[in-house]
Amino acid sequence: MKILFQTLLKIVPVILLLLLGSVITATAQNAKLELDQLDALANRASETVDVKLDEHLIQITSKLFGKDPDEAEIRDLLKKLKGIYVKSFSFAKENEYSPAEIESVLAQLRTGGWSKIVGVTSKKEGENVDVYVMSVGDQVSGLAVVCLDPKEITIVNVVGPIDLDKLSELEGSFGVPDLDIARPKTKKDKEN
Amino acid sequence: MKTKLTLAGLMLALACSLPFSTQAGGDGFNEAVKTIEQFYHVKHQSIPFLARAGMKAARTAAKVRGGDWKRLAEAGSVRMVFFEDQTFDSRGQIASFKASLQRVLSGEWSAITQTLAPKDEEQCHIFVRAAGNKFHVLVITIERHEATVVQATVAPDVLAQLLKDPEGMGKSITDEATTRDP
Repeated sequence: MKILFQTLLKIVPVILLLLLGSVITATAQNAKLELDQLDALANRASETVDVKLDEHLIQITSKLFGKDPDEAEIRDLLKKLKGIYVKSFSFAKENEYSPAEIESVLAQLRTGGWSKIVGVTSKKEGENVDVYVMSVGDQVSGLAVVCLDPKEITIVNVVGPIDLDKLSELEGSFGVPDLDIARPKTKKDKEN
Repeated sequence: MKTKLTLAGLMLALACSLPFSTQAGGDGFNEAVKTIEQFYHVKHQSIPFLARAGMKAARTAAKVRGGDWKRLAEAGSVRMVFFEDQTFDSRGQIASFKASLQRVLSGEWSAITQTLAPKDEEQCHIFVRAAGNKFHVLVITIERHEATVVQATVAPDVLAQLLKDPEGMGKSITDEATTRDP
């Protein structure tokens, strides 16, 4: 009986760790938004861009970065990411899409652990930018940027630990467009 | 006599089944070509082997953005098909074509980037899959009157560059496969 108890004492923490690991993994996976339902917009859009880089592809890329010191930061960032997904639709005329058509994406961001970062704006005139983060404890497990313009929809979804500042390092590469986001001012910025 | 007939029948059946089994168990390239043909009602043009080899030998380098001139595709690895002087009209259903392409290539191939401009009937689809310690890249480019399907084997460092700049590298791979050096 004593041996059984001692064995249980050894096994239980391992099982708990495994369970915790699987919960964290499941949460990280949830940071991936379902975006394929937007594809119908492609028939009306003047241009559509769809980028899908999964964890496997990102890891291959990260291993090949780093020889150049300038790229070391991107390599460290990529190492932790589990996916980069971008969908962008440009329209010839204004209001060629209705808000209902992107509701399926916005609904995912209203639930499932996402929270909106307040104070983020776009530097482009007439464009609304909303940035959402998904967190597990102190750790960010995903980021979503929704840019809506009367003639353009852009959705960027990065799965993994990334913050808004690091996202700027990806802009212009890996299919992530230049988002022109004006970050909210921090206390430090305000003091200066 | 009966045995000979049975044997001949079996041989004939085997001979007939071979090309079909090769097609059925296809590797994505033929399926992508077939999808284009069925959706757009077009027919690809075969390029004679010698002409193709000549083109590949002539083309030795492509520009990697921000890097040195280097060959992208592994030597002898390029497969390609052209569609020339034909009409590619998606009839307002370009999203269906994209979905069909994704469906036939799903499983082994992963779509990296797909760009569509239906009003100009321009599209570029880039898919990738593992091939041992290298990678196969499938680049499908469609314009209003022509299209190209290129499959090339690339080293991991080329793939990394491709992922960093999918559109630019996809174009470079197609250029390398189809352009003759001056």
